[in-house]
Amino acid sequence: MKLSFLMRVMKFGVQDFFRNFWLSAATVSVLTLTVISINALVLMNVLGKIAVTTVESKIDASVHFRQDVDESRVKTVRVALLGLPEVKEVEYVSPEESLQQFKIDNGEESELVKSLEEIEGNPFGATLIVRAHDTSGYSTIMQTLNQPLFASLIEEKDFSDYEAMVSRLNAITGKLEIFLLAVTCAFGVIALLIVMNAVRVSVYTHREEISIMRLVGASNWFIRGPFYVEALIWTLVSVGLTVLLLYPALIIIQPFLQRFFGSNSVDLVSFYTVNLLSLVGLQVIGVAFMTLVTTKLATARYLRV
Amino acid sequence: MGLQNVNLHIRPGEFVSIVGQSGTGKTTLVKLLISEERPSSGQIVIGGWDISLVRSSEVPLLRRQIGVVFQDFKLLPKKTVYENVAFALEVAGVRSSRIRAIVPQALKIVGLTDKVDRYPRQISGGEQQRVVIARSLVHRPKIIVADEPTGNLDSINTWEIIDLLRRINGFGTTVVLVTHNREVVNSLQRRVITIDRGLVVSDVEEGKYVL
Repeated sequence: MKLSFLMRVMKFGVQDFFRNFWLSAATVSVLTLTVISINALVLMNVLGKIAVTTVESKIDASVHFRQDVDESRVKTVRVALLGLPEVKEVEYVSPEESLQQFKIDNGEESELVKSLEEIEGNPFGATLIVRAHDTSGYSTIMQTLNQPLFASLIEEKDFSDYEAMVSRLNAITGKLEIFLLAVTCAFGVIALLIVMNAVRVSVYTHREEISIMRLVGASNWFIRGPFYVEALIWTLVSVGLTVLLLYPALIIIQPFLQRFFGSNSVDLVSFYTVNLLSLVGLQVIGVAFMTLVTTKLATARYLRV
Repeated sequence: MGLQNVNLHIRPGEFVSIVGQSGTGKTTLVKLLISEERPSSGQIVIGGWDISLVRSSEVPLLRRQIGVVFQDFKLLPKKTVYENVAFALEVAGVRSSRIRAIVPQALKIVGLTDKVDRYPRQISGGEQQRVVIARSLVHRPKIIVADEPTGNLDSINTWEIIDLLRRINGFGTTVVLVTHNREVVNSLQRRVITIDRGLVVSDVEEGKYVL
């Protein structure tokens, strides 16, 4: 008895979905837009974090020593720096390596390299490349290097101000998130209204059937049930459609993103694949909650049983 | 149209005609019986059940115990004769095997076994009304309320429907026939209750149409 009741409610719900096909299509497309913008929000978040870590990992400070400072003293400075808790690693670059790198960077035949050869000898001193655990550590490192003991050995410190870049990046992703949140909310509200209207139209097109159902003694749940089933179908189809649309889109934009960030660590496709179940599950639960509540409101309002 | 000071007792197994001109409150009486409307005061008791204060969740149960036949049929156009009759059982959550057993019986009583697969628009008005009667029978109701069941039918079909209602009454089902068809009422020679402007103006065993 219970099972046949449930089966019939489901059957009627599925019938309603297909018999009001264009209404269903409109509802599903707005819901899909909402779900896509939610997904975009999640992916932007991931992308923002990847961008910040990528930039942060590229930050380092180069300390160029005077030409007359010998290697052993540079190595003493290196050990001193390594003693600081903020420092992650310190790389020693010898004057020969610097010269080699300079030649590679500028080309063997360039004017600059030729003029260097005229000077004879190596104009480069030793270099230490310092990397901190995080960006806030660089100020301490700089202070340490400014101590007279070290300052006299150092020709030049090169700490390009990545910090500004990181904070700018954070600001951009923050603003983007707010924007996407607003878009999601807007789509959400539109979706709510559309679902409400769709249920209303559905009730209207079924008014004859509903009045007959009532007259022959259908219970309230039997009349309302199919509308909930229909709302669930809308939910599943829109989330499914989103996955179908988003997955190929990610595969297409992936190479561009990797080129942009210059790093293979940007892998939204595998992020999406790994988290597919929880992403889809949460979205189904969220959207289902939204459509079911809307349906409840609409049926209570337009379907006085 | 409202009803006032109506005091009626219809006994089990009776065949009662309720007559009166249009707009005198006959349909209001029907609506009160199936709890589509509530009385502003007083009581309506059906088989010992006071339905004047029935909860909305109990209304479906009430309607399964009263078969209702309408002037405008209220059949679903996109369902066949068989499906229309089965629908009343489906919405009540009756098992499919039971439905397959009951529906042909009901269609046999109204004589439509050869038209089960037709759609309402493919059969005559009289046949449509018989489908409605078959549908009202599937819950084996104690009472059948027929609100102007012959209002849209020609005289041959009218007599077929009245005969059918009489046969159903013969099985022991109480029949309440609401009509303003003088010939039908006079030929029935059963109890007649006359309503005029919301008041019961006469209630006669073996009555005639007197207005």
